[in-house]
Amino acid sequence: MNPERTARVLVFALALALPLGVLLTRWAGIPRQGGEWIEIHGRMSDDGGWTPDEITVDVGEVLHLRLTSDDVVHGFAIGQSNFEAVDVMPGEVTQATVTLEQPGRYVFYCTRWCGVNHWRMRGTIDVRGETSEPDTAMSPLYQSLGIDLEAPHPADVAPPDDPPSSHRGANLGVPIPDRFLTAAYYRAHSPGETWHSLRAEAAAHQLTDEEVWDLVALVWASNATPSAIEEGGRLYASNCAACHGERGAGDGVMARALANGAAARLEDRDPSPANFTDAVQMLGATPALLQGKIIRGGMGTGMPNWGPILTDAETWALVAYLWRFQFGPANTGPDTAR
Amino acid sequence: MQTSVIGRIALFGLPALVVLLAPTPSGSAEPSERIIRIEASSFAYKPALIAVAQGDHITIELVATDVVHGLHVDGYDLSVTADPGQTQRLTFVADRQGTFRIRCSVPCGPLHPFMIGKLKVGTNWLLWRAVALALLAAMAGVVGFRQ
Amino acid sequence: MTRRDLTHFRLIKTVLHRRGPQFALTALALGGFVLAIVSGLAGTPVGSRNFGIVAVWIAWWAVLMLVAVPLFGRGWCSICPIPAPGDWLQRGALLQPATRGLGLGRRWPRATRNMWLQNAAFAVLALFSVVILTQPIVTAVVLLALLFLAVGASLIFERRAFCRYLCPVGGFVGLYSQLAPVELRVKDRAVCAADRQKSCYTGNAAGCGCPWLVYPGALEKNTYCGLCLECLRTCPHDNIAVNWRSVGADLLQPRGRRLDEAFKALIMLGSAIVYAAVMLGPWGTLKSAAYNIGSGTWLIYALGFLAFVFVVLPGAFLFTVHAGRKLARSAVPLRRAFVHFAYALIPLGLAAWVAFTLSFVFANLSYVWPVLSDPMGWGWDLVGTAGDSWTPYLTQVVPALQTGVLLGGLLWSGVTVRRIALEGRSQHPVFPLTLPVMAFCLVITLGLLGLLVG
Repeated sequence: MNPERTARVLVFALALALPLGVLLTRWAGIPRQGGEWIEIHGRMSDDGGWTPDEITVDVGEVLHLRLTSDDVVHGFAIGQSNFEAVDVMPGEVTQATVTLEQPGRYVFYCTRWCGVNHWRMRGTIDVRGETSEPDTAMSPLYQSLGIDLEAPHPADVAPPDDPPSSHRGANLGVPIPDRFLTAAYYRAHSPGETWHSLRAEAAAHQLTDEEVWDLVALVWASNATPSAIEEGGRLYASNCAACHGERGAGDGVMARALANGAAARLEDRDPSPANFTDAVQMLGATPALLQGKIIRGGMGTGMPNWGPILTDAETWALVAYLWRFQFGPANTGPDTAR
Repeated sequence: MQTSVIGRIALFGLPALVVLLAPTPSGSAEPSERIIRIEASSFAYKPALIAVAQGDHITIELVATDVVHGLHVDGYDLSVTADPGQTQRLTFVADRQGTFRIRCSVPCGPLHPFMIGKLKVGTNWLLWRAVALALLAAMAGVVGFRQ
Repeated sequence: MTRRDLTHFRLIKTVLHRRGPQFALTALALGGFVLAIVSGLAGTPVGSRNFGIVAVWIAWWAVLMLVAVPLFGRGWCSICPIPAPGDWLQRGALLQPATRGLGLGRRWPRATRNMWLQNAAFAVLALFSVVILTQPIVTAVVLLALLFLAVGASLIFERRAFCRYLCPVGGFVGLYSQLAPVELRVKDRAVCAADRQKSCYTGNAAGCGCPWLVYPGALEKNTYCGLCLECLRTCPHDNIAVNWRSVGADLLQPRGRRLDEAFKALIMLGSAIVYAAVMLGPWGTLKSAAYNIGSGTWLIYALGFLAFVFVVLPGAFLFTVHAGRKLARSAVPLRRAFVHFAYALIPLGLAAWVAFTLSFVFANLSYVWPVLSDPMGWGWDLVGTAGDSWTPYLTQVVPALQTGVLLGGLLWSGVTVRRIALEGRSQHPVFPLTLPVMAFCLVITLGLLGLLVG
């Protein structure tokens, strides 16, 4: 071969064939046994969120996902499923497989905060198929109790200086009637209401107002298992603390951006995140109301609707954790063994 | 002629050697506990300049305010990563004197490689030595090595 | 000043004389260049994971500023892929020095036969540099634009008009190549004078006439010699030498100093200062201003940048030159003194760029390994390094290196200031003439030290 021809072959190979080959491997796709890869790109929601953001799959079909981020660190998880969340790193590809066994509409969402509109980074997976069992989804408790989530709910009583303590309450040795300790009662009554009811109990005659508050804390602690509070704390840190603050004071790092109007919201809504250390607001709220706010979201504030994402147990765990900002650590037993 | 060149070189070379080889005075003050809160947003740290004394026990509280950020301390080669809403802490003893760049260690957008701050531990002797040497170099330039 | 002709070594001479090795490197570089464009257009938009950004702005830039320019001057131009396609079209051949090619072969307009267009091209790119450096697609567009410009220039104008008059990189590479310890020169000028063919400029069967529009027989500086080595091939008298020489020899050549080159020296020094402040400084507002192209703050940044490199810094330098003339009661015209002394800023300018590059490159060099395995960010793992994490290298050493480089640059510039002043020794005392200029160099150095290691 003469040198000129060799040179042409070399240039053709390096400057045309090589880049074309690279592109072709892309278009040809990555071969995979049984089924195509679905490639999902993540971008901050202001720049487009997930692409694609709608996926349709048959029930029981294995979804092969290739996840990548086009800007910052994101995470990927599927709401109401047992799919373990994965990180989606910029310019890297995370592979994951998932099989959804129940038909319905699932929401996939970003799990790592990526700006004030992080929670808007969502997409849907429609799982087609025959429903094997009737729709068991219950309506949330706040609806069956007829609670208006928008209505103001200030408490008409508040504890004196010290925050109530379940620990002190347990040490009082005053028995609380069983009806106060059921989940049904706890969820449907605000601490303020509970305080009034307990105050009226004959057993509480000897107690100071402050001590009755300690009993209220004990009612909460009796309905919050340590594992629920731990899980609630984990959910709170990764999902809520950015706005509501790591100490619950409504002063999270996103609060400023929310107040500046950086987040999309309705004009007439107060965008400042709820302050869980505010006794008047918190002690007048029922757990059912708090759960309702979590499930439904803030409707035009920056508060996401967690209904499609968190399971019923997770929302209750979160609610249990929120009371820590009023009652401190949960403690149900007296110092000595029961 | 030749002796004059040697003389000139000695004139600037000896002080230069002194500047180079002079021992570094170490911080004498009692080390203190320092907790420093640093807010990280794309693409800056606030505060971007941190000054501590040599020997101080430092805890950096990294607060990410928009997306996931990291913080890597040059010279110490320590890193920490924080999500918004989840303050993370990096504790170390600032035993190495000098000025060190802090850089974001988690890709946080286009300008991520330029997200930089400074940690100043004690006196930046490298800089002061450099200033002294620069003065000598400038004088050498003006006077020249050869007549 | 001793020179050693490297072509005395048989191996070196053979390698330089033959087209194959140079062509192979150019073709390889072209492959990388095209891949950088393709990855910019089709790969991940995350710069640190995209071959285009990492290969061009970390790997290539490191090689260029830390190795190629300081050691080989225009060595990069010798194998640069950008003008290659146009060159091949113009010649009608890839390897052979054929003459039947495409192109109108027009002469470059006389008014712009200087470095001003390159000064402008560099300044324009510099205004967008923060975006170009970080967005793969923008890098791809810039590379494509350079390729089109180069091919277009080759088709319309004669020889390598793009390299000589347009390339934004070529301008400063040429400027700093004056410092390099390598030069291409004729062995004996008498041989050139006696030769009537001047085939080094007109070309012959062995090679093209100088693509850079330089007559080798008159070469005194590296600035416009692209080290394409054609004259080595065309000279019928074997009169071309590739010399190993003492560094910076060209700075001491008083002939041919020009205002456009003087400004190039000032623009490059000013840009290095601005880059060090914007990219490596702790000021987030400055970074955002430089990034948000088209915004009001960017406009302020852009105007500030242009004012600094074209007006403030040259103005300050002009003032110090003027002050020196006054102190020394020198009769040398101000413009002439300004132009001549500006050449003394070249070593400091290169030192500033090397110091800037050192921190930028070593902090981000570890991005190279994942990109080798996954150039497009598509989840490949070709050589098993896709998962390598970012680790800044040599963080304990780099500040000291930067300091050494800057001080070396200052010393070199200082010596050069004095040598340039001594050129006109009979007319003025040297000490007062150089004092303000040295002060200028000192202030610049201290500023850079503060920005880079302070």
